[in-house]
This record gives sequence, C-alpha cells and structure tokens, in this order.
Amino acid sequence: MATAVEVKEPRGAVPHPDITAHSDVNRDVLAILGRPGFGWWALFALAASGVALMFGSWGWQLYRGMGVAGITKPVGWGVYITTFVFWVGIAHSGTLVSAILFLFRAPWRQSIYRAAEAMTVFAVMTAGLFPLIHVGRAWLAYWLFPYPNSRFLWPNFRSPLVWDVFAVTTYFTVSATFFYLGTIPDLAAARERASGLRKKFYQITSLGWRGTDREWHHFGKAYIYLAALATPLVLSVHSVVSWDFAMAIVPGWHATIFAPYFVAGAIFSGMAMVITLTIPLRKVFGLEAYLTTKHYDAMAKLVMLTGLIVLYAYLTEFFMAWYSGEEIERTAFWERLFGSYWWAAWVMLVCNGIVPLTLWFKRVRHSIPALFVISIFINIGMWFERYVIIVVSQHKEYVPFAWGVYRPSIVEMSILLGSFAWFGFWFLLFTRLLPPVAIAELKEVLPAPMRRRTHDG
Amino acid sequence: MSGVIKRRDFLKVAGVSGAGATLTACNTGEVEKLLPYVVPPEDITPGVATWYTTVCGECAAGCGVWARTREGRAVKLEGNRGHPISQGALCQRGQSSLQGLYNPDRYAGPMLREGGVLQAVTWDEAETLFAQRLEAAGSNVLLITGHTGPTLSGLFDRFLAGLGGRRIEYEALSEAPLREAARIVFGQDVLPHYQFSDAQLIVSFGADFLDTWLSPVEYGRGFARATAVTGAGTKGQFVAVTPRLSLTGLNADEWLPIAPGAESAVALAMASVVAESGGGGAGPYEEILEAYTPEEAARLSGLAPEVIRRLAERFVSEGPSLAIGPGVAGHHRNATAANLAVLVLNAVAGNVGQTLQLDGWAGQRARPYTELQQAMQGSGAGEHVVMVHGSNPAYTLPAASGFREAFQQAAFRVSFASAPDETAELADLILPDLHYLESWGDSNPRPSIYAVQQPVMRPVPMFDGKQTGDIVLSLSARLGRDIGAATFHDYLRSAWDELRMSVPAEQAAGGTGDAWWRGVLKSGVLRTTTDQVSATPALRAPESALSFDPPELDGENGDYTLIVYPSARLYDGRFANRPWLAELPDPVAKIAWHAWVEMHPDDADRIGARNGDVVRVASPHGSLQAPLLRYPGIRPGAVAISMGGGHTAMGRFADGNGVNPMTLLPAAVEQPSGALVYMATKVTVEPTGVWQRMATIEGADDQRGRPIASAVELAALSVVSESASPEADDPGKEEHTAAEHEELQELNLGGGFVPVPTDGGPEAYPLPGSQYGEYAGAHEMPRWAMAIDMEKCTGCSACVVACQAENNVPWVGEEMVAMGRSMAWIRLERYYEIIDATHAGPLDVRLLPMLCQHCGNAPCEPVCPVFASYHTPDGINAQVYNRCVGTRYCANNCPYKVRVFNWYTYTDVPEPMNWQYNPDVTIREDGVMEKCSFCVQRIREVENRAALEGGRPVADGEVVPACQQTCSAEAIVFGNIRDPKSRVAQVVANERTYRVLDEFINTQPAVSYLKKVTFHPVAAGH
Repeated sequence: MATAVEVKEPRGAVPHPDITAHSDVNRDVLAILGRPGFGWWALFALAASGVALMFGSWGWQLYRGMGVAGITKPVGWGVYITTFVFWVGIAHSGTLVSAILFLFRAPWRQSIYRAAEAMTVFAVMTAGLFPLIHVGRAWLAYWLFPYPNSRFLWPNFRSPLVWDVFAVTTYFTVSATFFYLGTIPDLAAARERASGLRKKFYQITSLGWRGTDREWHHFGKAYIYLAALATPLVLSVHSVVSWDFAMAIVPGWHATIFAPYFVAGAIFSGMAMVITLTIPLRKVFGLEAYLTTKHYDAMAKLVMLTGLIVLYAYLTEFFMAWYSGEEIERTAFWERLFGSYWWAAWVMLVCNGIVPLTLWFKRVRHSIPALFVISIFINIGMWFERYVIIVVSQHKEYVPFAWGVYRPSIVEMSILLGSFAWFGFWFLLFTRLLPPVAIAELKEVLPAPMRRRTHDG
Repeated sequence: MSGVIKRRDFLKVAGVSGAGATLTACNTGEVEKLLPYVVPPEDITPGVATWYTTVCGECAAGCGVWARTREGRAVKLEGNRGHPISQGALCQRGQSSLQGLYNPDRYAGPMLREGGVLQAVTWDEAETLFAQRLEAAGSNVLLITGHTGPTLSGLFDRFLAGLGGRRIEYEALSEAPLREAARIVFGQDVLPHYQFSDAQLIVSFGADFLDTWLSPVEYGRGFARATAVTGAGTKGQFVAVTPRLSLTGLNADEWLPIAPGAESAVALAMASVVAESGGGGAGPYEEILEAYTPEEAARLSGLAPEVIRRLAERFVSEGPSLAIGPGVAGHHRNATAANLAVLVLNAVAGNVGQTLQLDGWAGQRARPYTELQQAMQGSGAGEHVVMVHGSNPAYTLPAASGFREAFQQAAFRVSFASAPDETAELADLILPDLHYLESWGDSNPRPSIYAVQQPVMRPVPMFDGKQTGDIVLSLSARLGRDIGAATFHDYLRSAWDELRMSVPAEQAAGGTGDAWWRGVLKSGVLRTTTDQVSATPALRAPESALSFDPPELDGENGDYTLIVYPSARLYDGRFANRPWLAELPDPVAKIAWHAWVEMHPDDADRIGARNGDVVRVASPHGSLQAPLLRYPGIRPGAVAISMGGGHTAMGRFADGNGVNPMTLLPAAVEQPSGALVYMATKVTVEPTGVWQRMATIEGADDQRGRPIASAVELAALSVVSESASPEADDPGKEEHTAAEHEELQELNLGGGFVPVPTDGGPEAYPLPGSQYGEYAGAHEMPRWAMAIDMEKCTGCSACVVACQAENNVPWVGEEMVAMGRSMAWIRLERYYEIIDATHAGPLDVRLLPMLCQHCGNAPCEPVCPVFASYHTPDGINAQVYNRCVGTRYCANNCPYKVRVFNWYTYTDVPEPMNWQYNPDVTIREDGVMEKCSFCVQRIREVENRAALEGGRPVADGEVVPACQQTCSAEAIVFGNIRDPKSRVAQVVANERTYRVLDEFINTQPAVSYLKKVTFHPVAAGH
C-alpha cells in the first residue's frame, strides 16, 4: 500500500527537479574534470596567447616607459584604471552570491556560487595587476605597503590609494580563503575518482578530508564565519575603490553618492558576468539540470535591481550637476553627454540603463539566449561606465586651457584584451581542476534519497 | 690533513664571500670615477657657481648677459642687471643660447668639400688653402655677415680693405624701410629709439616690439612700465592698428583691424586730424595730409572714419603718445612710405624728441636686400671668393632671389658658421666659428653704450672651432698684411684701449689699463657719453614721389593677403635647431614644433576647414601645406604664416619641422629702401582633406567665466591716493563678515570647512586650518610666495624657457606635445575675452602664466600614497622625485593641471647638450611626476649663504626664481609673504589681487595674481 507520507518540500521548492540521486551529482560534476577536448584546448591556447600578449605589452611598457600608453595630461588615468575598477567590480558578485546569499539562505545560490567565487578570485587577480601596470615605476610599487624600514617611511594613510591597497589585498585574501575552504569537500570527492598526478593534486589540496561528522561540523562553522567576514568586504572594497575618485576634487568624481553607486554597479556587473560565464559553462558541460531558468530568473532579478540603482545614480549625478548651479560641474556633465566622448556615455546609458529594463519581462528573464546577450551588453556598458567616470571627467576639469583628449594606445588595448585572456586562462584551468558546481552543497538541497519512498516500494 | 672542511672554516669562508658578494652588489651597475683636480683651476670651486658678464649675440639688440658657470660649464644665462638695454632681463631666444652653444650638430672642425662631400681638414690646411684662394681672387672678395659687433666689423672691414673686397651685412629682419623713412623725413641715417615708458597712448601699426622688433627686452620693459597702473589711477593705453595681432597685438587695449597695407593711409589721416586740430606743422607733407582725410583712410582700411578721427584726437589729448611703424610683417611694396607716414604722425603730434628719439642709434647696420643682390650678381665672375659669417641668406631669401644660384657660381665659398645651415651647406670650406659664449667680442647697441662679450667658458672640446676674428688675423699674416695683433683678444683690447680715451673721466678711473679692463669685464658695460638728444629736426620732403596707398600684391586671383611674420620663437629661422624654442608654444598660436596657417574663423568656415585641417597655400611663386589654425586675431581676407620653419640643413631638431613661407614669396624689392618685401602676394587656400593632430598646448581659448584669468576695469579701481578702500567703511559689510566668520568657525570645528580670507595680505598667513599650520615650528619659517601681475605680463614666454634651462626640464618632441605631454613647468595660458576682427573696438586677451600654485591646502598632497608630494615647512609644495612611484593621482587631483609626468626618460639628450644641465637640480627618470619647485635650489643656496655669513637673515629680494629673473615686464615678484615689509607682501596687498580658483576649492595658493586692468567694463566673475 502506498501510504506515502506527504512531506512538505522545503521553502523555495526543489531547485533541481531532474536530479534525483546524490550519485548523479558526483557523476555529472566530476565528469567535467575528465580529459579536456579539442575545444577546451583551443580556448586555452587562445587565452594563453592573450596572456602572452598582455605580459609582452607590459614588458614593452616597462622597458620603453609609460609613454607607450596613451595616457597623458590631463587624463592621467585611462584604460588601466578603468579596467582595474571593472575587474574589481566583477569580483563582487562571487562573494555576494556565496557569502551574503548563504547568510540569507537563498536556496538558488548553490549551483552558481562555485563558478561565481572562482570568478571573484580570478577577477581580483586580474584587477590586482592593473595598479602595477599603471604606476610609473612599477618596481617601486611595494612602497605602497606599510612595511618596516630603516628610514621610518610609511605610506600616506590619508591617500585613498593606500586604502585601496588594503581593501583589495584584504578582499583577495578573504575571498581566496573562502573559495578554497568551500572546495575542500569537493576536492575530496574528486580525489576518489582521480588517478595519477591529478590524484596527488587532489590529495594535497583536499587536506585529508574524510567527511566525518566532526569535519563537517568544523567546516560548517568555518564557512559561516568566513561568510560573515566576507560580507562586509563586499560593501567595503568597492566603496574604497569608489573613494579613489570621490575623495578627489575632480568634477565628476567628487560626489557623496559614489560608494553605494559603485557597490550597486559592482554587483550589477558581477552578476552579469556570472550569467555570461555560466551560460556557456552549463551548455558545454551539460549542467542544464543544475543551472536552471529558475536560477537565471533569480540572477536576472538581482541584475535588474542593481541596474535600477545604477540608473538612478546616473540620473542623480546629472541632476545634481544641474542643480548645483556650478558652471564647472555643469560643464563636466554636459561634456559627458555631448562632448568629445559622447559615444562612451551613451554606450553606458544604453547598456546599463535601458537594456536591463527588458528584464521586467518574465519571458526575457526565462530566455537563456536573451539573458546572455543582455549580460554581454551590461559587461560592455559597465566597462564604459568606468571609462566615462575616469577619462571623461578628467579631460575637462577646472582650467579650460589645460583641457585635453586622451586616446588609448595599442599597448593599452592589448593589455585590456590580455586581461580578459588572463582571466579566461585561470577560469579554464578552474573548470578542469575544480568542480565548477559545488557538489556537497548541491546534495544538501536534494531530497533525501529515500524520501517519498515506502519500505515496500 | 684530510680535505674535510671544518665547520668554523666553512663559516668563515661563507661569511667573507657572502659579505663580498653583498658589497659588490652595492653599486648601480656603472663604476664612476671621482677624481679631484691635481692642480685646481682658478675661479672654479666645485659646487659654487662662477658668473661672467657677456653680451647676447643672438640678435642686434645687444642685451647684457650674466652667464652662470659651474665647474667650467655654462649652465644658465641671465640678464645683466647693470646693462642699460636688458636691465636684468632676457628674452626667450636669449635664454636658449646655451642650446646653441651645446648644439650637438655643431661642426666638429674645419671641413673642406671634396667631390661634393665635406672632409675634415686641419686648421693649417684650411687656412693655407683659404689664403691661396684669396690671393688668387685679388679684390673679388665678398663677405656676407649678419649683425656683428663693432670691433669685429672693424677688423673685417680693415681686412677686406687690404684685399679690396667688400662686406655686406644682411639680416632678414632688418628695419631698412624705417631707417630709410627716418633718413628721408629727418635727414639722419639712424633708427629712431622709442621711449615707451614715457608714453601714455601707444599706437602700433603692426610692429611686434614685444616679440622680435629691434629690441624686445628693452621695449618690453618700457611697455610694461607705460601700461602699469599708477597710484593716480591712470595707465597707458595701447592701440593696435594692424590686420593681424602678433603677441604684441594681443596686449593691446583696442584693436583696429585694418586692411593689409592700409597703415600709411590711417597714419596720414590721423596726422591730418592732429595737424588740423593744432598739432605741429606737417611741413612738406601738408598736401599729402590733405589728400588722406579720415574718410579716404576709412575707405582704404575698412574702418569707420569716426574711429580714425577719434583715435587721432586721443593721440593728442591723451598723450604723451607714440606711434610705431608696421614692422617686418608689414614690409610691403610701400613700406618706406608707411614708416614715413608713422614718423610724420609722430612729428605732427610733437613726439619727436620726446617718446621718439633720434639719438643716433644705428643699432642695426644691416644693409638692405638690394645691396646683397647687387653684390652677389658680380660674384659669379672670375676667381670670386664669397664668405658668409652669421647669416643664412640661402634660407631667409625667397628662391626667386637667385641667391643660391649666384652663391654656387662663386669660385670659392667659405662659411664661418659654427653649426650647419642652408648657406653653409653650399660652401666649399667651412671654418667653424666659436659660439658667442666661447669667444671675444663687443657690442655697441647705441652710440653711448659699449659692452664686452667675453668667453664664459673654454670652447666645448668636441667642437674644434676657431674664432673668426682669429682666422682673419691669421689669414692677414699669411697674406703678408699683418694687422698687428696675435689674437682677436689682443685686437679687441687695443680697440677698447682707444675707446677708453673717449670715456668720461669718472668711468675711466680705476687705475691702469689692466685694472680698468678688469672692471669693464666685471660690469660688462661701458657708457661712453650720455645719450645725446638732438633737437627736433624740421621735416624734409622725399626726394622722389612715394605712394601711400595700399601696395600692389602679386597673385591677383588669390583670395587672401599673405602675411609673413617673424617668429617670436625662431626669429628669422636661426633658432630652429634649439629644442627649447622649437617646443616653446608660440605665444600667440600656442603651437610647438610644426607650422600652421592662421586664418579667421569666418574664412575658415567658408572653405570648410577645422583646426588642424591641412591646407594648401599657393601663390604664383610656390605653394606649401600646413595645418590650419582658426585665429580670431587676423582680419578676414588675410592669412598668416610664421617665418622660421622648413629647414633642410640645420640639424636634427630643425630639419623637416614646419614650412618656410619664403617659398611663397617673390624676390620683390621695396623702393626706396631696397628691403625685401614680405607682404608681397595674395594666395589661395584650399583644404587637402588631411587632418593633423596639432602640437598645441591649448585645450580651450575660452575660460567660460571661470575666475582664472581675471580682469577689472580701470574705472572700478579705487585710487590709492584716496583713503582706504570704501568697503571698509561699510559697517553692514563688516557685521555680515563677522557673522559669516562665526558660522564658518563652527563648521571648522566640525572638521569640514575652512574659512577663506578674502584679502591676500600678509596678515592672512598662516591661513587658519591650512596645512601651513600643520608643521612644527612653521611659524618661524618664511612662507615663500609669488605675485604675478597680469597687467604687466605680456605673454612673451621668456619665463618658460628660463625655467626649462634652470630646472633641467626636458623637451619631448612634436608627437608628445600633440598628445598633451608637454613638460614645461609654466604654461602660458591665453584666453580670448573680446576679440573682433571685423570692427574696431576693445580687445581683451588674457595672458596668464600658470605654474604650480604651491597651495596651502594642496589637493595633490593628501592623495599621494607615498608622501612624494609633500609640504615643506616653508610653504613649498615639494615633489620628492626619488620617492615618487608614479601613480599620477596628484596630477589628477591638481585643479591647475600644472603637474607633468615623465612618460619616458627624456633626459638622455645627445652629448654635449647634457652639459647644460644645472647640477643643483636632479635629473628625472621615467615614471616620475614633476612640477614647479619655486626654484627651491635657489632658495636653499641663498639660505645656505646667509647661514655661512654669520647666520644673517635672508634679505628680501635675495631669492630670485628663474622666471622672475628673466621677465622683462617685471610681472613676477617672489619672496617671503610672512614678512610684511617684503615686496611680495606689498604687491599682494592690492585690491586687484586674487588667487586662481581659491574661492571655489579653497586651495589657498601661494601664487597670487593681480587682475589685468581694462578700459572697458568687465563682466562679473571675469
């Protein structure tokens, strides 16, 4: 007799209706770690050559001098800082998804958070290169760190750049630790199936994980503490990055709105990047069952929310420029829309302000191709947002006679391209070495294997 | 004993080798030897500068120079304060002389052309050959010189007289028409000498007396004094009557944009009005004056008759007045008549003997072009030897003059050029002269003024030059015509011994010859007699009829009159191989390195050309291409091109830069002066469809009402002689301020706001809450500050070059400037407020030297992550180069945009240009930010000296930054603003004082500007 006990499903419903057995998870996810195919190698070669291009260009810049970049007077910060802020922004969603959504117990995070966290770590690694690339004497950049020295020289703690050093290094440390900690049980799972050198790698990195109760207990505690530690960092790091600008007196930078504006923008761009990355990932590795439209719907909603905040910030900036009555401020924003770089501002407004509005429609949120296209738009738009803020504000400041135009050089563009390759390089390695979907956490939300079954059936 | 190494031995070996490795690693990769002098040379104390007086040899003005040398190398030139011409200042070109001295393209030694190629020869071989050719040539010898000092000229003439040869002095920028006009009108073959400082209304018909004309340093100072605001609330006015505004024109208070060539008509019409209203008699010119009524002049010039009449009336009523001729850019086919008309105007207004003096100044002896042409025509015959010294006619003359061909037909061509030029490139024998800073000479810029040019250092050893005077003496000896002096120095000495006899007794005092000579060398200048001011001569009629109408122009189908003007940077082209000048933005166009064509925006719209569109300019004589500059300071219907570019054989920095407008000109001769005509042709202008990113430093020419370069109307100024400022008497205002102050104090306690003192007076320092107060003991220190009077600044840009020379500021090249990477520490900004080329009316162009403001609340300081941007206790915003990492945050946050970044290592300059580097200033490498340091090395030098001299306090005026030193307008004052008695504090305590952007962003700059004073009302906020 089928006297099935009606078990109420947990709130949020079963996110993965197609997956029934825990063993499926192991099988599906760990299958990704098998021998890579031609496509992976082709992409990897492309990424590696992009990395070579970046380091080659940087080497050339170190050898010849900063002048090979197009930055000039009055635009002293150009593509490098734009790209730095872009990647720091990308780095946001990973921690947001894994830490904040973990603390808020959002059930849809499990299948994306691993990829998002990896993205975070690699994005910070990418971003971290740019201050080095950017400074005139990269070989002396360690002076920005407060290290004991015989001359008792310390960095200037009033400088937002020093705050930046702390914010970014802290963020990298915590997010890398958090990322690694979360992967330990999965590394152990991979260890069980791997052989040869790979097995060695997983043996070492899984730190002897056996999956005992005690280990799970400690793991859970550590994870929640780290999540709690990482959460404020999500807000702090981009606030600090925004203060690089907001603390300066450049018209177009000097605004109190910058910290929330940048944090919203960072989550916006980061979520868009998660969408951009996971859509091909699920396709290639057949993870449709794990990353469902339900997840994308949730992500799209977050994108829409943050996108609206960003749009609101744009409009506030323009309004405040007008409302201030200051000719200098007004000119800065007028030039933003209609000056030499008008196209950049309109790319920004259209990509970040207008395009995400389509996400109001459920049909769009549920269309994977549409989301992919929109996320690409947002990625482009968010890069241009930083370009507009950084470059366009600088090119027409207080003294009209000193106004000038900046054109990125081929070296800067190579390094910009190379930064994507560098990011892709690590991400490709990640997809082959670490389970891109969190096995252990996924299992938590699956129905218990024997649930709904009766002893007789 | 076994081979076992004991533990102790191992430690010893490891320790020693480790220490050794560490020590050997402690070098910078290059072993540099520091060797002391075995026999220390006299006059050289390592680390201490030695100064020598000499005379600037760059143009005929003859400014006195103090040359600063360090360890035997000349590193900086400054004006000789005791010299009556320069009075302590130097122009931008004089400042750049060191780059002529250390020009890496100078000839390494004597050279002989064999088979078309120059081969090095010894001096003996060269002189032997030269002597042979001279002997063969007999009297067929021609020497073409530029401007030379009296003793060298005398030696040349004596030498040539012995041979039966002839000397022609040819200068491209000579004022032959003015001189001819003066000869006709006053019967004296002299150039007039202008007393600008006495004039209250200056009318220039185009002469660029602040850029290149005759004696720009002397006239610049006179002009600044004439137009300064007096205590009585008056100031001199300057009216420019010219089709194109030069830098001089930009300084005018009013602009009458006349049709090119209409100067005569306007001047005569003015003279007729003056004569009618009871001015001096016009003598033989009365008939001419009657013909040129204001209506007639208005028809010819395009002005309204009332404008001319009104100006003429003011010329008498608002005098003392002074009218100045058209200048070189206005040398058209009736240029003598135009100069004559201006002289007549001065005469009828009674200015002769007052502001215009005929004190016998024959400062420019250059012969007119016709004489050169005639002499050259004979040079093709026989065994003719043509020698060239200090002149470059192959470049400065139009191709149609036939100079090149005639020169090449000469049997033997000798050049004494020390560095290549187009004429030397055609020579058979090159006997490189020494640079003027390496050689002896003298100058006689006015009859009563003599100055010695003495070598300030031993000749630069990589160039085996010989002073031309010495060559002439040696040749004389070889030819058996011994002049009786072994060296030119001896010759000069004996010439000056003769001069000594004519000196007034009080100056001749000083003992015997040698002691007297040393005294002369020390002061550098000798006044023989006082200036003789001759009585006003009666006007004379011209021998032949002169036409005062606008001149004929070639190219009837051309649309635009071509104006070719002397460059304020490159002069007639002679300075093109000096990177400082090539990179100095033109004071008007603000473009460096390359050429441009100036055209009025209305005309440019008509041909559809933007800034930077390359246009083809064609005359019947040639064509050229250059990017177009839309210049509101040129009358529609005219285009202007600067002289000085387009060199083909002058050196690495000159060749290929710019265009030479001479290619557009005919070899037309002005009659009766015989001068070359520069305003000779009309041209067509058409866009080529190519656009070029111009190497300009100008971001925008409109300051949009921002309080950057501010002005105030003269009538709005309170008169100093009246009691204190009227605002102080307004009790309401006082109260208001006090209330405001309290409120601000509260905000200040909250940590957010600092009240800005509205007066810039010394009692305002230290400013409350400013960084000035952050430093311990700061109150005992001086606060270094600068005041720049925009009323005086003419925008000549001499300070920019002086700063480059003093502070080892690199040049970066055309491409870098086009990208916006100019490194100059001073940016001379130029904003147009009122400029209208279609009507006569007020002109208001603001010229503002922008440099580091050394803010009390410097935005650059808090943002630097490594304290490279640092505030010194004496108020200097220092940049610590070797601490700088190169984040460029400081530059972003600098509202004045005065910080410049070393994008490359620019300081690896070709030998021996690096000899010029000031050893007191660090050379910067790539990746480092830099900016104006207030010449901190000079401050420290003075402070050290004061400390050595018994710890005395630094006197006011003892520290003189390079920019202030060279400023002929005396626009810059530097000093300790905390000393209420200091000049800077007194200058700053002026109602015109303002600090750029301070009221907006509370930067509290140490640089105060004094508003320009206009005669027209100034809109609020400007």
